[in-house]
Amino acid sequence: MPRSAQDWLDLIRALPLEGRRVRVMNVCGGHERSIAQAGLRGALPSSIELIPGPGCPVCVCPEEDVYEAIQLALRENVLLTAFGDMLRVPVNAPKGEPRSLEQAKARGADIRPIASPMEAAALARANPQRTVVFFAAGFETTMAPVAAMVLEAPPPNLLLLLSGRLTWPAVAMLLNSDRPGFDALVAPGHVATVMGANEWRFIVEDHGLPAAVAGFSPQSLLAALYSVLRQLLERHPFLDNCYPELVTPAGNATARRLLDQAFTVDEANWRGVGVIPASGFTLRPHLAAHDARLRYPSPADAQRKRAGQMPPGCDCAQVVLGRIYPDECRLYGRACRPDAPIGPCMVSDEGACRIWWASGVRTPRAA
Amino acid sequence: MNDPRSPILSGVVSLAHGNGGRHMRALIDAVFARHLANPLLDTTLDAAPLPAMEGEILFTTDGYTVQPLEFPGGTIGSLAVHGTVNDLAVSGATPLYLSLGALIEEGLELSQLERIVASCARAAAECGVRIVAGDTKVLRRGEGGGLYLTTSGIGVRSRSAALGMQHIRPGDAVLVSGPVGDHGTAVMLAREQFGLRGELHSDSASVLPLTRALLEFSGLRFMRDPTRGGLATVCHEISVATGLGMHLQQAAIPVRDPVQSVCDMLGYDPYYLACEGRVVAVIAEDQADAALAAWQALPQGSEAARIGQVAADIRHVVLHTPLGGSRILEELEDDPLPRIC
Repeated sequence: MPRSAQDWLDLIRALPLEGRRVRVMNVCGGHERSIAQAGLRGALPSSIELIPGPGCPVCVCPEEDVYEAIQLALRENVLLTAFGDMLRVPVNAPKGEPRSLEQAKARGADIRPIASPMEAAALARANPQRTVVFFAAGFETTMAPVAAMVLEAPPPNLLLLLSGRLTWPAVAMLLNSDRPGFDALVAPGHVATVMGANEWRFIVEDHGLPAAVAGFSPQSLLAALYSVLRQLLERHPFLDNCYPELVTPAGNATARRLLDQAFTVDEANWRGVGVIPASGFTLRPHLAAHDARLRYPSPADAQRKRAGQMPPGCDCAQVVLGRIYPDECRLYGRACRPDAPIGPCMVSDEGACRIWWASGVRTPRAA
Repeated sequence: MNDPRSPILSGVVSLAHGNGGRHMRALIDAVFARHLANPLLDTTLDAAPLPAMEGEILFTTDGYTVQPLEFPGGTIGSLAVHGTVNDLAVSGATPLYLSLGALIEEGLELSQLERIVASCARAAAECGVRIVAGDTKVLRRGEGGGLYLTTSGIGVRSRSAALGMQHIRPGDAVLVSGPVGDHGTAVMLAREQFGLRGELHSDSASVLPLTRALLEFSGLRFMRDPTRGGLATVCHEISVATGLGMHLQQAAIPVRDPVQSVCDMLGYDPYYLACEGRVVAVIAEDQADAALAAWQALPQGSEAARIGQVAADIRHVVLHTPLGGSRILEELEDDPLPRIC
């Protein structure tokens, strides 16, 4: 008889956690959304802190990549397409220049939001005389279908501006830092569906921390929480899989093969975080004809102020690393709101600030 | 394709159908007048004379731009009738007359236009309203989304039906007449943008039987059909207008499984998705159970539920989750976009 969300909650409440402070990090915007939507923080014992970590691909997409996308979109004959939540990400553009793809669109750039990589290929096919640039940002889950699309011989006028990232290296970076900031990890269900649960064994084997892969229902998330809490109390960490319906130890073999055929894995910049080794996807040489970066050399401008940085006053980098909660940012709910976002975490539905805002947290935390 | 009735009416709508001449006359006669015929509709008049009406007269108008024009459970035509009828119905009125304005984009298939006007006529007949005035314009190709409709409506209510947010009191009960988010989700699926398919139908329908059933209750304070912005937006508007808060019980709010699944996949919140055949009602606590029973006795209200309570102890709309957590349902920020992963 499978346990219900309420059963798992009762089990968690019965654990001897008094006087302890347990920080459990999640690294998936979908998890953070489910936690916020189910009101889990309020339902759990106060000794348990749920910390949103680096789980938002839009938030960590380098500022210079978004700037580059804007510059490409403004070119004559270019049709730029991107996932919807990239459109409003702000960059540090000089006065008078568009600061987001949305602003570039308002100035006449042809920018089309899409929901699936296949739509990018369809757009290129439907517009053969134009150069269609697909600004592809995302984690492994998104990059697998991007790989499938680019390996299926898309039309020659389709170029990729790739900003794909792997999730686990960011967690490894945190754990290797002097301030990991968490005692246990809830591993991302979607990413593990593609890459396999085993990718997260290093949490246990190299760092001795409890870990559990979770799905997106309150039931699965609470099961994973119960698992890591028990692992912690019994001092017996292991990698648990609380999403066995979809997640296998080795993941989706086809998706992994496609990723490997299309991309190499290299060091990559994460917005506000810095360069992380072996954390970004790059198109393999046999797909170079579809590489927007090779066709159009980067518009890198040494003069541009704050290139690559977060906007002034914005604490998104701290939020992404789980070092502060969204409402501890000085701008949260004051200068930075979804209708006029300053940092990327307030833009995407995967961003912790946006999720907290959407779930009703409308004022900054009292200092 | 060819229409045997007239060569003018074969194929697609052209600019000539809006030129005021022979083609336009043919379009109006063969499509609009033929389907919408009723004793008060005279397409040769500039204005329709209406019989004298008893009671307070209510007047409303709304524009309709849905894509696709036809979707499971309705068309832009039935939507344009139900939407305006429902605005009158939730105000406590009996809808009587509608006008219909059609902005047609050059290139729209005439057969599709005819299907839409026919569904308009069917909806009007079901609601007991007559379309008594109309207008058509043809937009150049690329200037419109196929077809835009505007309906204005006139209804009457007895002067005793004093409904409005100003009557809402702390402790009042909040009812919803059926599952929320069906229309928004059905239309999303019909766009086939996400490669999702489902058996879901729009709830587009007249809410007149539902509103009539509640008008009997002296404790009825306020009704609204949760269209754009959904249930959460109606509750938020009530909260802002009254300065009172609202406690909603998530477990009590009916949401169909396919709606919840689509929302889970795309990152939408079902409480913000449009309904086109539901009513949210606020009613005195001591009459809530009887009102709910009255709704549940109707086919349109069989899944009605009591979902929450107006409260003076808070100033927000708070959703209590089955696990004992809670979150605030705030104003919708912008158009929801599907998320990346």
